[in-house]
Amino acid sequence: MIFYKRDAPLFIKGCCIYFGCFSMATLTRQDLNFGQVVADILCEFLEVAIHLILYVREIYPSGIFQKRKKYNVPVQMSCHPELNQYIQDTLHCVKPLIQKNEAEKVVMVIMDKEHHPVERFVFEISQPPLLSISSETLLSHVEQLLRAMILKISVCDAVLDNNPPGCTFTLLVHTREAATRNMEKVQVIKDFPWIVADEQEVHMEEAKLIPLKTMTSDILKMQLYVEERTQKN
Amino acid sequence: MDYLYLDNIDEFVNDQNKIVTYKWLSLTLGVHVNTAKQMLYHYLQQKRNEGSGTPLHATYLVSGKCVENGSKCHKVSVVREDKLNAVKAKMDVTISVHVYSVQRAELKDSSPLYNTDYDAVKENIKNCNKYSTIRCAAAVPMSSAEVQRAQEMALVPPAGKEISKTGLNENTSATPKPSAKQPAGIMGMFASKNASKSQESSKEVKTEQKDDSSLVETSKSKTASKANPMSNLFGKSAQKKADEKPNKSVKEETAASSTAPAIMEQSQTSPKSKIDIKDEQSKVSSALKVESKDTRNKTKRPEVVDSDDEKMESQQKKRRRIKKPQPDSSDDEVVPDSPPVPNVQTPSPKKQVKREPVSHQEVSITNNTLTEKGYVSESYSESEEEPEPNSQAKDSSSLKQSFGKREEEKKEKREKKTSTANKPTKQPSIMGFFQKK
Repeated sequence: MIFYKRDAPLFIKGCCIYFGCFSMATLTRQDLNFGQVVADILCEFLEVAIHLILYVREIYPSGIFQKRKKYNVPVQMSCHPELNQYIQDTLHCVKPLIQKNEAEKVVMVIMDKEHHPVERFVFEISQPPLLSISSETLLSHVEQLLRAMILKISVCDAVLDNNPPGCTFTLLVHTREAATRNMEKVQVIKDFPWIVADEQEVHMEEAKLIPLKTMTSDILKMQLYVEERTQKN
Repeated sequence: MDYLYLDNIDEFVNDQNKIVTYKWLSLTLGVHVNTAKQMLYHYLQQKRNEGSGTPLHATYLVSGKCVENGSKCHKVSVVREDKLNAVKAKMDVTISVHVYSVQRAELKDSSPLYNTDYDAVKENIKNCNKYSTIRCAAAVPMSSAEVQRAQEMALVPPAGKEISKTGLNENTSATPKPSAKQPAGIMGMFASKNASKSQESSKEVKTEQKDDSSLVETSKSKTASKANPMSNLFGKSAQKKADEKPNKSVKEETAASSTAPAIMEQSQTSPKSKIDIKDEQSKVSSALKVESKDTRNKTKRPEVVDSDDEKMESQQKKRRRIKKPQPDSSDDEVVPDSPPVPNVQTPSPKKQVKREPVSHQEVSITNNTLTEKGYVSESYSESEEEPEPNSQAKDSSSLKQSFGKREEEKKEKREKKTSTANKPTKQPSIMGFFQKK
């Protein structure tokens, strides 16, 4: 099932405190705390990645972006309040799905003026069933992997064709199994309803697949690839 | 001569789509940095001569002497290939030019360059200058006690920071300026500006500064850090000297700059400033990289239509005018010949990237009532360009007005009923077919 999101209120606090603050502890998947940690890390990363894709693919003028620091490297983040709000709210709603390991993919779809997708940045996420964190070095390792993904996004220009002007984007979440039923019952954010995505945004004709980066770590496996429409104009 | 390295570089650049900087190459292949530079140059020549395959982009490091504002300085900058000749021409004496990096993608900003080197340097941190020619006998690792002392000192505001000369070469970053200078710089900049508007804006800056100092506790650190990058703009241009970056980075770490939001907003809304606008690139929030220089480019900024917008926008970081982006002209380090240089970490010079001017966009948040709950989402209007004064008109005085707006804005955020309907124009509503109820 696929969900589709638009507007929303609310504000998430990204917590980067996990990096370097974890004491020696072995936590398992059942430990809710741990699920939250992974979800937080992932949502922070997705926020940065989405902003970076918007910058690199020139969906929005570069003037709204400014350099911020994440994972000890400069990244471009947007200053536009509503854009930021939209992204944060979407990720806030995605977070519970990730916590329960129900989110299969988070997709950022870039559409042209006629709302046909031209590019789809797919973040495939999976978490190993039995997770354990043993030490701080794990998290700094994860940080390194995420840094590498950020770097790969920065150079994705080289493997992608230019987009037509006037593109927009949207965020989709693919969930596993019956997660959607729970979503319907519980409104995570008030007045931010989940809506099933349109077929045309989910599937793209004549798509070619361009893998960007894969990361594997003890707590998280993520794959980033781009589905690109062959004819963009 | 062993030419295997050409194949290596080819693999890195073309197959793996990596950015190959000379530093990364030297650490990866275990060669001296000068050799790495030669290798990159050789590779570039060969590929260009072949004229086949995918286009390659390169960045260069240029260093030379030039005169800025009457003072001689030594400038080091990383420039894109297309800007190379322009930068060289501007220097009186070009001391060195070498290839900084080679990559397939055309980089829009310098962050990936830093990112590339980060891990390589981190792994070799103890001997990262093994292959380099930069040596300093005084540069030895600090003992843990010294590290702790340094950390405590860094928390103290950097006003009047001691600048000590070190024997580092020209690649060190510029000196930090005390933060107190910044508001003065902006005032000075505005005072020196022609047209009455500048006086008006300087008054606004003052009032905003007062506001901001009182509102600073409410501002989130995020906004403060957001402000800092922009704040460089006017501070630098006013002083026409390098070296605010370290200052800013420290400020960001302390996460409190009452003037910064004002400066940022002013910078956003500044009218026809003929002044040189500093490069945005230099406002990296990362504490490591530090450069600030004058841009040599004059931007043509759109005139501020009415001062109301300025005041409002200065108060509300949420509402911003999307201005023409500052040209990322010179991401270079200007180190005055004589003044001492502080012991800052080794920076990495930034790249010059020019940005295209963008159309002016104004964003406002309007109150739209929600439709019913459930699957019908809230409807939002297509008209995003409502001028701000309409929705925000309150008290007359600018001070109260900004206060009032700030409160109202907070209330707006809290009210879940109202939806922030306005989206950036780039995202037209496809929910339009949902009925407005």
